[in-house]
Amino acid sequence: MITHSSNKISTVQAVLIVTNFILASGILTLPRKAAEAVKTPDVWISIIISGGIAILLGIIMAKLSQCYPDKTFYEYSAKLMGKWLGMAVSICFVIYFCILSAYEVRIMAEVTGYLILEGTPSWAITIPFLWVGYYLLIGGITSIARLFEVIFPITIIVFLLVIAMSKETLQLNNLRPVLGLGFSPVLKGLKPTILSFIGIEIILFIVAFMEKPKRAVRAVTIGSLIPIFFYIIILLTVIAALSVNGVVHRTWPTLDLIRGYEIKGLLFERFESFLLIIWTMQIFATFVITYFAASLGIFQVFKVKERKVFLGLLPVLFFISMIPKTLDEVFMIGDMLGKAAVILCGVLPLPLLILAKWKGRMK
Amino acid sequence: MGNGEKKKPIQGQSKALRLTGVFQDDIAHIQQLLEENSDVLYRNFRLSNTNKRAGLFLIDGLADKELVDKFILRSLMAPFSEEDHELIEQEGLKNYLKNTVLSIGEVKETNTLSNAVNEILDGMAVLIIESVTEAIILGIKKVKSRSLEEPISEPLVRGPRIGFTEALKDNTAILRNQGQNEDLVMINKTVGKRTKKKAVITYIKGVADQNLVDEIVKRIDRIEIDFLPESGYIEQMIEDNYITPFPQIQNTERPDRVIGALAEGRVAILLDGTPYVLIAPVTFSMLLQSPEDYYERWMPGSLIRVLRFLAAFISLYGPSIYISFISFHPGLIPTKLAISIASSRVGVPFPAFLEALLMEIAIEILREAGLRLPKPIGPAIGIVGGLIIGEAAVTAGIVSPFMVIVVALTAISSFAIPQYSVGITLRMLRFISMFAAAVFGLYGVILFTLLLLSHLVRLKSFGVPYMSPWTPLSIKDLKDFVLRAPVFKMKRRPMMLDTKDVRRKG
Repeated sequence: MITHSSNKISTVQAVLIVTNFILASGILTLPRKAAEAVKTPDVWISIIISGGIAILLGIIMAKLSQCYPDKTFYEYSAKLMGKWLGMAVSICFVIYFCILSAYEVRIMAEVTGYLILEGTPSWAITIPFLWVGYYLLIGGITSIARLFEVIFPITIIVFLLVIAMSKETLQLNNLRPVLGLGFSPVLKGLKPTILSFIGIEIILFIVAFMEKPKRAVRAVTIGSLIPIFFYIIILLTVIAALSVNGVVHRTWPTLDLIRGYEIKGLLFERFESFLLIIWTMQIFATFVITYFAASLGIFQVFKVKERKVFLGLLPVLFFISMIPKTLDEVFMIGDMLGKAAVILCGVLPLPLLILAKWKGRMK
Repeated sequence: MGNGEKKKPIQGQSKALRLTGVFQDDIAHIQQLLEENSDVLYRNFRLSNTNKRAGLFLIDGLADKELVDKFILRSLMAPFSEEDHELIEQEGLKNYLKNTVLSIGEVKETNTLSNAVNEILDGMAVLIIESVTEAIILGIKKVKSRSLEEPISEPLVRGPRIGFTEALKDNTAILRNQGQNEDLVMINKTVGKRTKKKAVITYIKGVADQNLVDEIVKRIDRIEIDFLPESGYIEQMIEDNYITPFPQIQNTERPDRVIGALAEGRVAILLDGTPYVLIAPVTFSMLLQSPEDYYERWMPGSLIRVLRFLAAFISLYGPSIYISFISFHPGLIPTKLAISIASSRVGVPFPAFLEALLMEIAIEILREAGLRLPKPIGPAIGIVGGLIIGEAAVTAGIVSPFMVIVVALTAISSFAIPQYSVGITLRMLRFISMFAAAVFGLYGVILFTLLLLSHLVRLKSFGVPYMSPWTPLSIKDLKDFVLRAPVFKMKRRPMMLDTKDVRRKG
């Protein structure tokens, strides 16, 4: 009917888009990356600090988008920076999102192939995944937002349950001493941990779809606080269970935590399948939103029809995801994406915000 | 229903023909238009002592003969007194008859032949009088209807034992009587090009969203079909999306369900000739609800509802989860259980998927067969099929006993769903989920779930998102979702329906 057909998302949905985007491959790899850099159990302090920085960046980006509340970044970048520079930055974002999207798909294929579908070729795992994403995308941003709303409570409940059941394996001594080597290791941990907040940049593109764009700042803040909470719990439990040295030598430490315990007397003794279910859903969420952000860029910059872009991008994403030959190469792409994210989402927004305010003042 | 079949379109030049008042001509014309219909009775008589001839047409079987004899023919043939003749002088014969003689409730008149013939075929009695240029239409139709029994398809332990029938008038009367609401609006519609069937759109004024009502009226007006035997036709013609296994309109035989829906701000559509009433818009959670949830106290009501969600889950995922764990990830279930399942599968020649498919198809056929058979044989077939074939299949080593347990549990779960049409939906989807599990194991089941959710979040029923109130999230509506809050706590009508009057009163 008429009343619900608007192409807008509610504030709750905006929060969940940010949250679901941020929560992705990081759940499994963050403990290792952070522990490698910090080498003390203080990684959880790093994540709090870097989370704070991420929120700050998010607020800057939200403010920037609020200068043009009914336009996405792709649309207002040209106004802000001039036609060609704006277009160039938009294309950078499109490429960034494409690679990020393909990267998430590949990580998903790697983990699934490693854990539950040994021997299945990764193209066979990837292709149906991509098609499901395409199907969701046809429904537009509202469908994506609603799907996130459905999977988010499932994620929270299963995640907390699975983590709570690992309490037998936790040894608080692994978390001590707090700040044993002073504050400098914590600072070393900022770089890898801040990258786990990739995804916050989506606020540049969704403010235009919000029913109440004025709440963008609130959305991005709450949207990042939820992942911070998740990450702290993961880091604390994983390190308490496996110790810092143990974490460094494992590819997927979070999975090893869940595989590390068995509970007798229940229908299931091992719970990694539960973690994998919610993790696959989260990866799907990240994949879909990046896929959407990339398509949005293409059809807003080049004025192509939506459906064509969605369909045309599918093989592109597939081939990008197939490029890396080994897992190490996949992680290298991840690092490159991190650097790109620092430039696009860390360095760029503040000058743009100042520019936008200045332009607004001029008028 | 009796009134439909005999209708014949009156076409061509005769359409505009008017009654002439020349008795033989009028009667001849009408008889000519009706010639093939053997069930039309024609009674020719003299109108009292006026020396005028009159003719009465009616349909044998549809007309209430007693009414015709006592209140029409007798009074028309009884001699008029002097005063009567004076009155005839004053107001004319036709008006005199209408005002003084014909003591029945529904009297109309028409001056065209085609209308007269249509009314005859509709079950009315039509009186033609010499030198009167209008035909008098007398409402003496007596629709045969059955008694108001409890619906077979939706029995309840607690709740009114009354169900809709095939007669539209009975159904509207039930709603009027049970609803006891002066704001209850009933809009009459005629649907069908050849067979004109009566439909009624009903809602509560001041509660239902006017946009919703307008949209439903618009969609019903747009229906172009010559014959509507059942409200399922309307459902299929006005639903939002036809490429989906999910019903977007609810059908029910229970008046209490309809009244509850109307009170929430929904709209119901009744069609003559079927006891199934349509309710729109509908959301997924509604299809797993039963009126009983509200009649019981809130705790048992909530628990039973949780149980039903669980049943829906098992019905959808039971076999696929079994397949994925047995064929792909035996390491994820307890070792003892895995060993016990594996040992029971020794000698089974098929992979788990084929085994499950075999049994699922067998049980679907069994269910279908049990449904079509005469009542006394149905349970017998259930025993033969379920017990004997199941037992024999296990003994013969074609399927494992575990598979029989899974399949039986799935079948029972799908019976626990209060709506038959939703049960079918879940049965269909179960097979897809089994295929997904057979190809990709647990990953396939996850993908299937994501696909299903992607589909569900896009689905709408008259503009109301199908997954509400889960998404778009409406905290207030969650009071009546998986759990049901105590009745006194549910002070508001569902927000998703955009009702005019949000608060439930009293």
